[in-house]
Amino acid sequence: MQFQPMYYDGELIVPKIELNMRSSQSIGIITDLKRKQFLMNQLVNHSQYYLFRAGQSEYMRLTVEELITFLIKVTERNEHVDLLMDYFSLKEERKVKIKDLSSSKRMYVTLLRVFFAHQPTLVLEEPYFYLEEQDRRQFKRILDDLLKEKQVLILTSNLEDALISCDAIYRLNEFGFHQLDIRDSEEDKHEVLKQDEANITLQKISTKRNDKMILFNPPEIDFIESIDGSILVHAGGENYDCALTLTELEQRLLNFGFFRCHRSYIVNLQKVREIITWTKNSYSLRLNTGKDAVVPLSRSKLHELKALLNI
Amino acid sequence: MSISLKRAGAIFVKDYKEFSRNYAVSIMLIFPIIFAFLLRGTGPSLVGAFGLVLNISFVILTSFAQACLIAEEKERNTLRSLMMTPATTMDVLIGKSSLVFVMSAVVLAIATYIYGYEPVGIWAFVAAIMFSIILYTAAGTICGLFSKTLLEASLSIIPVSIVFTGAPYAGMLLADDFPIFKVLEYAPNIQLVRLLNISNTASTTGDLLKPLLIILAWAVVLTIVSVVLYQRRLKDE
Repeated sequence: MQFQPMYYDGELIVPKIELNMRSSQSIGIITDLKRKQFLMNQLVNHSQYYLFRAGQSEYMRLTVEELITFLIKVTERNEHVDLLMDYFSLKEERKVKIKDLSSSKRMYVTLLRVFFAHQPTLVLEEPYFYLEEQDRRQFKRILDDLLKEKQVLILTSNLEDALISCDAIYRLNEFGFHQLDIRDSEEDKHEVLKQDEANITLQKISTKRNDKMILFNPPEIDFIESIDGSILVHAGGENYDCALTLTELEQRLLNFGFFRCHRSYIVNLQKVREIITWTKNSYSLRLNTGKDAVVPLSRSKLHELKALLNI
Repeated sequence: MSISLKRAGAIFVKDYKEFSRNYAVSIMLIFPIIFAFLLRGTGPSLVGAFGLVLNISFVILTSFAQACLIAEEKERNTLRSLMMTPATTMDVLIGKSSLVFVMSAVVLAIATYIYGYEPVGIWAFVAAIMFSIILYTAAGTICGLFSKTLLEASLSIIPVSIVFTGAPYAGMLLADDFPIFKVLEYAPNIQLVRLLNISNTASTTGDLLKPLLIILAWAVVLTIVSVVLYQRRLKDE
């Protein structure tokens, strides 16, 4: 998949991008609204790409069953509608008109259009944005099955959404197009820094914001993430830059109940409220903070976490 | 371009269900019948009354329904999604037009029965009605293409009613003073009225054929224009 460079007001908005998509791979691009439009406008070849745009709506007066029947017929597939309704777990909503569904369910039903696409590449804009957790899980399951034969490109502005179902994630912004490091940490060599045993324990984490030095007590911190190599400390719904590396922070904060839950994340376990299971292989942690924050959890770290929490 | 009756049939069934549940639009189905009922009493005293019933029905039923069907799909972005399925533009157009055709034919048959009109040549009458429905369906398609929402589609019917119903009638009244308006004689609705007024005694095949051919020519031209416009407009999106 190739994107040509795009200029807007004389500025380079989208650089030249070449994505080597292997089949059964899903790629996520985290970017803003304008760049999403630019990218999608380049994918005009209808025999190659199925575009699902965020503004997609549905035939509101049909029932769910009638809609699925219509989609089967119009795409000339041989599936039986009852089996598909089972597969989509929409048995209960069979006779409900689409306009009477809850907004999350309605979006889920609308998203099912991608299931019927015959194109080898599916491009989805913000698929998870309007979905509640249960519908997200359903849709991820369907997407995983589709991935056996197709490639999926997800365009979103939200890292957590991309983490749900992408194998590789890129960030596209004014600094260009860069891959985010989301591999599970078991693969990489731990460059364990043997920290000198200091006599005094550092209590404060120093961060910077607007050229001011701000010091945090560890319990104030919700979680720490690494984005594009820079470390962001999240506290009280705001984020602050930090000059230390994640490995250094992990060692400093180990005794304060912090946990390296992901290659790019350290979380304050005191603030974890819920472990979300998306599928057998993907998990997230929901935090008990004012803002609804979700942090990814690596599969390899799950056992460690369970042991730590005695569950 | 391949045309699949299965896909067109699926679109027909889907649109039938959508249309019949959208009461704001499907209520238009009963207006021709009400008109026929109201004007029934006038009988032969009002020449062209039945022609008026038909001409108004074509606009507020045939064109309106077609424009709404297309505009609603555009409003919800489902048309764009349909373009990414194997369904071709012709499948979509045929599916929708055949639904509108069937509805118009049934309603107008009922209206004709209620009005009690007895045509001179039944086949010429049926053919004229069929050509007219095709002609007004094409006009409705064009309206639907130029409107983005259902609301715009219902408003876009007004120019159609002016061009195809109002103007020719008004023009005919002025034709004696301004010979230029004689051109409007060839508007499809005037031709339809002419055809309906041919009386039993003095009719020849030629009399019947001339209005029929003019209406057919209108239908063919407008259909071609609507199909070309449809494909061009969709490419832009």
